[in-house]
Amino acid sequence: MAAGRATNAAEPGAAQDAGHAVEHVALTLADQLPMLLILVPLVAAPLIVLLGSRRLAWPLAYGAATASFVMAVFLLMRVIGGEVISYHIGGWAPPLGIEYRVDSANAFVLFLVTGIATVVLPYARTSVAAEVDGQHGTLFYAMFLLCFTGLLGVVITGDAFNVFVFLEISSLSTYVLIAAGAVRDRRALTAAYDYLIMGTIGATFFVIGLGLLYMATGTLNMADIAERIADQTGNRTVRAAFAFIVVGVGLKAAIYPLHLWLPNAYTYAPSAVTAFLAATATKVAIYVLMRFMFSVFQPLYLVEVKTLEFIIIPLALLAMFAASVIAIFQTDLKRLLAYSSLAQIGYMLLGIGFLSETGLTAAIAHLFNHGITKAALFMGVGALVLRFGNSYCDGVAGAGRTMPWTSAAMVIGGLSLIGVPGTAGFISKWVLVQGALEAGWWPVAMLIVLSSLLAVVYVWRMIETLYLQPAPERAAAGEAPLSMLVPMWLMALACIWFGLNTELTLGASLSAAKGFMAGSPGLILAGH
Amino acid sequence: MSQDKHEDTDAFPWLGRRLLWLDNRRNVNRIVYALYGLCAALFLADFFYHKHVYLGVEELPGFYAVYGFVMCAMLVICAKAMRVILMRREDYYAPRDVEAEEYPEDQLDRAEHDA
Amino acid sequence: MPEMMPTALLFFLAAAILPVLPQYLRALLLLAVPVLAGIILWNIPEGMLAQVGFMGLELEFMRIDSLSRIFALIFCLAAFLGNLYAWHVRDRVQQVAGLIYSGSAIGAVLAGDLITLFLFWEGTAIASVFLIWARRTEGAYHTGLRYLIIQIGSGVILLAGAVLYHAETGNFVFERMQLGSPATWLIFLSFGIKCAFPLLHNWLQDAYPAATVTGTVILSAFTTKLAVYALARGFAGTEILIYIGAAMTLFPIFYAVIENDLRRVLAYSLNNQLGFMVVGVGIGTELALNGTAAHAFAHILYKALLFMSVGAVLFRTGTAKGSELGGLYKTMPLTMVFCVVGAASISAFPLFSGFISKSLILSASVKEHYYIVWAVLLFASAGVFHHSGIKIPYFAFFAHDSGKRPKEAPPHMLLAMAITAFFCVYIGVNPEPLYALLPYEVKYEPYTTTHVVTQLQLLFFSALAFTVLMRTGIYPPELKSVNLDFDWTYRKAGPAILRYLRAVAGASGAYLGSVLSGWAIGIFHRFQHSTGPEGRLAQSWPTGAMVLWIAILLGVTLVVSFLS
Repeated sequence: MAAGRATNAAEPGAAQDAGHAVEHVALTLADQLPMLLILVPLVAAPLIVLLGSRRLAWPLAYGAATASFVMAVFLLMRVIGGEVISYHIGGWAPPLGIEYRVDSANAFVLFLVTGIATVVLPYARTSVAAEVDGQHGTLFYAMFLLCFTGLLGVVITGDAFNVFVFLEISSLSTYVLIAAGAVRDRRALTAAYDYLIMGTIGATFFVIGLGLLYMATGTLNMADIAERIADQTGNRTVRAAFAFIVVGVGLKAAIYPLHLWLPNAYTYAPSAVTAFLAATATKVAIYVLMRFMFSVFQPLYLVEVKTLEFIIIPLALLAMFAASVIAIFQTDLKRLLAYSSLAQIGYMLLGIGFLSETGLTAAIAHLFNHGITKAALFMGVGALVLRFGNSYCDGVAGAGRTMPWTSAAMVIGGLSLIGVPGTAGFISKWVLVQGALEAGWWPVAMLIVLSSLLAVVYVWRMIETLYLQPAPERAAAGEAPLSMLVPMWLMALACIWFGLNTELTLGASLSAAKGFMAGSPGLILAGH
Repeated sequence: MSQDKHEDTDAFPWLGRRLLWLDNRRNVNRIVYALYGLCAALFLADFFYHKHVYLGVEELPGFYAVYGFVMCAMLVICAKAMRVILMRREDYYAPRDVEAEEYPEDQLDRAEHDA
Repeated sequence: MPEMMPTALLFFLAAAILPVLPQYLRALLLLAVPVLAGIILWNIPEGMLAQVGFMGLELEFMRIDSLSRIFALIFCLAAFLGNLYAWHVRDRVQQVAGLIYSGSAIGAVLAGDLITLFLFWEGTAIASVFLIWARRTEGAYHTGLRYLIIQIGSGVILLAGAVLYHAETGNFVFERMQLGSPATWLIFLSFGIKCAFPLLHNWLQDAYPAATVTGTVILSAFTTKLAVYALARGFAGTEILIYIGAAMTLFPIFYAVIENDLRRVLAYSLNNQLGFMVVGVGIGTELALNGTAAHAFAHILYKALLFMSVGAVLFRTGTAKGSELGGLYKTMPLTMVFCVVGAASISAFPLFSGFISKSLILSASVKEHYYIVWAVLLFASAGVFHHSGIKIPYFAFFAHDSGKRPKEAPPHMLLAMAITAFFCVYIGVNPEPLYALLPYEVKYEPYTTTHVVTQLQLLFFSALAFTVLMRTGIYPPELKSVNLDFDWTYRKAGPAILRYLRAVAGASGAYLGSVLSGWAIGIFHRFQHSTGPEGRLAQSWPTGAMVLWIAILLGVTLVVSFLS
């Protein structure tokens, strides 16, 4: 299975030359990275179940995640300049064979997903032990790895149907992971069930869309589809496919009115799962949305069908305000953060909606920055849950005194959520505002700032809860253990680091945005 | 005007004891008379030197004196009139909006606060 | 090289290590940092000394020229004196906040572009609010929130202005601008909020009396003078500032006369003094700008001295209300003496610092033929003597004996006051060193016979008016009260209107809601009907709603795709 073929192709500018690029059989380990990245966690997951040892489960999962992270870093380093890696599974050339493609857009998302997994897993050890039934610990890590694999697969693959397969892998394991929260709160089962129903509907829509595309083109390779639908944009089948795919993926991404599964799922899932999912799952869905919108269908097609103006942008604005307002009135910190996630997804959609290089840069950068921000925040809440047994505002009031480190990390995360200068959140919002101004949409720029003020309110509520409210009498809980504090602070410091040093985030985002805006030439495959 | 005639003034700081004559109403009156005299002298001073000024109005003898007196009197009277409209109870905005510290801060003995 | 490091960073680094140090090292560090920063700023050459690349922008962290240097130096001095005064404070929150606050203020003064300015601008806002909250009373908490909202608002407006400015000119350089475009108006408004322009001023009188004893001393030095600096840098010679400034000198003195809380009286007189500086900026000639810089320098010192002395009273007696105080000179004579020195300085008595700085602005206004403004400023000078020069020492230390016999202020407070008082007198007696620091060459001689005599006439006849009114009983007594100011609009009227609207909206909303829910139930029932007996899924609200949404969204997307 590992015998594959990798080719390097230069990105858009040299697209025509790519066809003549010399193919070579992959011999070195480095050429197999795209495959290994998926394979390592995929193999580790059943291994955990087979070994069945509770002591081995965590080290295996952690090893797999770390290995994937290292590989993702290597991949990102290779493609950040604009290069594209095309990997043919089993040596079968696309469009017949399955192709994995890595460009700066998905390498960046891979970097985020693997990075978050690597940080969350050490954190999960204590948190999961406290929140999930002991005997399910082994299975939990297996499921975690499967979900992880699914997300990576969705991102890395260049094959449309493969996206669906991996999406299902990640979704099914996600349902299980959410249900694992039932030990703490039985409502996790309902939440998981709801998500199961809705997720399945979303996936069905997605696969219907793919079916329609297959009808119209007879192929499932993204680049191939892109090439074949280029001259039939007026085709009703293609247009229906587009609508189905946008709505289906939109559900996974929790675009505002399709978000109803998310608050419950995030609230009742085990804290470590929430931290992981919030930072990765919706982000991956946003990535898929972008990939299909810009690479499979073309930017020009988007101009033509006006979906962005009439659907995506209004929904994005709606999310920014409605979700923020709802967040303000929540009494459960997890739920508050979940609604704020919905609002932040609005920003990303808005960036996509600008249909410009700056807008996409903002969307991708925000995808990353919000990922690390939310990871820090949900890990903070998880630590509160560990010590206080719940995440209600009155339940954890005054935690700033008993858990100073956790609270301080949450404050940093909160500042980044608002977009205070010096934090990661500021960078992407800044670029987003620039995108709005570039497009000449002054009112939208104002709305971005206004909705940030709503964020100030709910973050303030959080800070008030932690610091300014008197602690209940019985509260004597101590600080969270180091194994949770270190990952939490890693993320909090990352919020500041990426707020000051934007070389990586904006560099990768800009390069990715260029790839997207180039349309299908950005997807062109080598040796085809 | 000390309420307590038998107050132990020896406990006061040195400078405080030197200034205790201010408590005597007659001494206060003396200061006021001294002020009157000083003001008169300053007013008259205007006639004894050459003013280097820019404005015609400044050359009037005692312009600054009259301006200062009249404007300040007006200021106080206007401000007093403003009270009629603007003054409210201390708890007008909120019950504990304007509050004195319960104790002088240095006697509170709060470890985290002030010494 | 040390001069390449932004000075603010020095403060931030110190703030970072401060919490882990023992108390005495903390207090020493608090003194050492401003001294070190002052020495550095004194010695480095002029120029743009520290550029940092950030998101493709070149941020200028160290713009040293004669205007920024004098403000940065006085900020260092003020930080040193404030920290010495706060030697006894053990509260780490106040110590860290004070360091970050003063560091941010210095950073903002040295900022060479609007983005850097914005960063430090917000830094001062966020750090300073902790000096208010540190009092840990309910009133202080709410005041702090109001203060924070206004200050952050100022920063956000500045950022919006900066972005528009960039769209207009293609750069973020912070240099002199012309009022006219939305960008410059926004920036102007942002400066105006921090500078406490009339109607934007209430945060000042609200917050300063609510902060801790030591916090107010620190607060009084930085925020508003930073705004004055920013105006002097960006809007020198903007005529509207002259009238804004004149109004600023005028209206606070009326409030100051009837205000009971002595710290609030000082806040009003601070506002009045800012007016002088703003007039100086508005006139914009070399003489006027020199006057603004010199007055800011002198003002920071004597205002700090006054806040220190009233703070010492508050520290020892637990109140700063005129109605509760009196007769304190017996047991706090040194504090009284320092208070009188501060009062003499703010009133511009000859031989005190105000005399040699305020007169620069007054003569600039005459030279540029703003006679009405000159008359207003003259009146304000008399007025400031009236309420700050006489009222503060009189009601705190003399007046009727309150029977309070507090101890003299602690030694470190006395030392801080003594040093500040020394500076006030030294500058007044020997203005040359200060004049040498000013942005432009000074050709002005404050000590002429005319100036001294006329100033003495003005002041002593004001004192005469006070005495006469006091003795005739016309002078308004100190009463426990608050006075309505413009903040009434957002503390009383605004909430009341909102409550009213909510009541109206609630009533109509309830009606609308009942109609809508009637429809919704109808539709819902029909929907249930159509899905027949296995309508179980529809019963679970999120799933049902979600499916509905998916259907709607798919429909809309299809329609949009097909129609376009």
